[in-house]
Amino acid sequence: KIEKAKAIKCGTFGATSLQQRYLATGDFGGSLNVWNLEAPEIPVYSVKGHKEIINSIDGVGGLGIGEGAPEIVTGSRDGTVKVWDPRQKDAPVANMEPVQGESKRDCWTVAFGNAYNQEERVVCAGYDNGDIKLFDLKTMSLRWETNIKNGVCSVEFDRKDVNMNKLVATSLEGKFHVFDMRTQHPTKGFASVSEKAQKSTIWQVRHLPQNRDIFMTSGGAGSLHLWKYEYPAQRSKKDSEGAEMGVAGSVSLLQNVTLSTQPISSLDWSPDKKGLCVCGAFDQTVRVLIVTKLNKV
Amino acid sequence: MPVWLREYSWRQTGSAVYLSLPLRGVRVTPANIFCTEQYLKVSIPPFLFEAVLYAPIDDTNSTAKIGNGIIFFTLHKKEEAMWESLTLANTNREKLQYLRENAVLKAHEKAKEETEARKVTKQEHNKYALEATMKLEEAERKRIEDLKEKERQKVTKELELWTKQHKNAEKQKSIQKEGELRQEVEQLKEKKKEKVNKTGIPNEGTSKTRPKPIKGCHGSCSIFSENLEEEQLPAPRSAATIKISFTPRVFPTALRESRVAEEEEWLRKQAEARRTINADLCELEDLKEEEKNPDWLKEKGNKMFATGNYLGAVNAYNLAVQLNNKLHLLYLNRAACHLKLRNLHKAIEDSSKALELLTPPLPDNENARLKAYVRRGTAFCQLELYTEGLQDYEAALKIDPKNKTIEKDAERIRHLIQGATQGS
Repeated sequence: KIEKAKAIKCGTFGATSLQQRYLATGDFGGSLNVWNLEAPEIPVYSVKGHKEIINSIDGVGGLGIGEGAPEIVTGSRDGTVKVWDPRQKDAPVANMEPVQGESKRDCWTVAFGNAYNQEERVVCAGYDNGDIKLFDLKTMSLRWETNIKNGVCSVEFDRKDVNMNKLVATSLEGKFHVFDMRTQHPTKGFASVSEKAQKSTIWQVRHLPQNRDIFMTSGGAGSLHLWKYEYPAQRSKKDSEGAEMGVAGSVSLLQNVTLSTQPISSLDWSPDKKGLCVCGAFDQTVRVLIVTKLNKV
Repeated sequence: MPVWLREYSWRQTGSAVYLSLPLRGVRVTPANIFCTEQYLKVSIPPFLFEAVLYAPIDDTNSTAKIGNGIIFFTLHKKEEAMWESLTLANTNREKLQYLRENAVLKAHEKAKEETEARKVTKQEHNKYALEATMKLEEAERKRIEDLKEKERQKVTKELELWTKQHKNAEKQKSIQKEGELRQEVEQLKEKKKEKVNKTGIPNEGTSKTRPKPIKGCHGSCSIFSENLEEEQLPAPRSAATIKISFTPRVFPTALRESRVAEEEEWLRKQAEARRTINADLCELEDLKEEEKNPDWLKEKGNKMFATGNYLGAVNAYNLAVQLNNKLHLLYLNRAACHLKLRNLHKAIEDSSKALELLTPPLPDNENARLKAYVRRGTAFCQLELYTEGLQDYEAALKIDPKNKTIEKDAERIRHLIQGATQGS
């Protein structure tokens, strides 16, 4: 058991190699730390990157998945999203911040995607005013933004290391949206389908590592829902001016279960055993679950 | 008067009486026959046959066969005995009547009992049916439960098996790797020994750093390839900043669809509250929509002040004050205009009004109060009321002690006061 000075909000193993297994954490004071769990007294990398709590963290390039440099992205209440490279001290590799003088909104969630070769990377960030912004790190520009009318609690690409395929964004009021990221229309952006699963906030979404069309959402009423996405017959079609437009498919509920009366705030799948997952809830329990018959879905 | 039927014939055995009653030309239905324990009646208007039987019979088991023009009764005796005659011999009228009534009552009772019995059996039947369905449902539920249990057990077994396999696999791999490493180390040592023999320089330092701690791992674990990997990783990106702007939102809380309606209401009410407070002044009817908004008028006034049109600015502020006399900024700005126009008394009035409105002295209205004090002070000095002016300047200094201009002016006023007192 290891205790640190500031409470830790979020963590990821995403940016370390399988040998090193360093844990990158974001804490309530806005510091990003990367710890070697065998020697946890001093972090391997540390930077006070944000002025306020780091709400969400994601890593890419590690764990034998994907190519390219390992990077960590953090999103904070101070409205900025910063991308860090553990080899570069003190300065972020990319910084997405509001224009001077503009009011800031809390960034609640960040996710990496589109890391299919060494240069391409994309970061998706969700904010509390319902904004979703997609930043392209190769061109260092804002690639797409939209507003889903409810604060965005969690975003995840179905796979980080392929050409971006699908993005699921969950929000307050029990809604989530699945965006088809293969076709970007110049004005309409990406096509999406949305579902309202329950009345409470959907805290987290995670795709099954072994099947990228199955994902699980965890809700504020202590429930877990397992969904399957079906692709439409044609994923893109031409609109009236001949520009390519994506077509969203459909989502169906496979199973749901209520485990707790408190929100389940975080969940993750095991990459080794299909169907093994772990979730943590506000009732101070960590539950390990197994989902069966995923082969037959 | 009914027609009595007296032609009948009967014979008997020890246990039964057989009575045949001819009825020519009438149709008989079971309703016409009435029989109780000791009384038998067949009534087919206008014909009537009745008999008070010699001994009681079992009327539930007795039968009546209705044939062509004849009824054939089979009456089972209650007691096995031979009857002297079919009917009782001495039956006077009253007894007959009494018997009749009795018979009717008995029949009634019987009928009642029968219906009750029927009810009871019906209830029992229903109960039985219900129980049967419940059992079926139970069975179904149990079947499903069993399926689930089996599935659960199967999966837990699989999981245990998998974890064991996993652990074994990891152990094996680590043992393997250690073995390989040792081999490599030995090989290196041998090579070094050869080198040492050749060159004579000890190379112990390097051999100590070789064996790195190896944890169970999936990817390649050889020492050499790790170094190679690091070189293959691209350099960190060149730092850049992307500027973003957010969808505007007035409230600091997160956006929720269900609250949007409430929020709009609140904003609208706030906007209205800032507008006309006393909207029933008749002069206002002449004004355009814009001119009724004190904020807009304030803006107009500010612009005119900036261009030097102080009278126009004062007019604008006057109108704004008529509409909403709670905005301190209007008084503050009007005071500045009056200063420029050298309406010093008016300037003092307006600054005082502004200060009144700013009475809870919070850090938010520091700036405004500072301006108010400075303007009032200036006005006082220009009226040569230096002591009052100094008071105001000191108050301003208290708010912002670091302001050099205020300090200088305060000093000047002090000198003036001292000069005046000295002079007079």
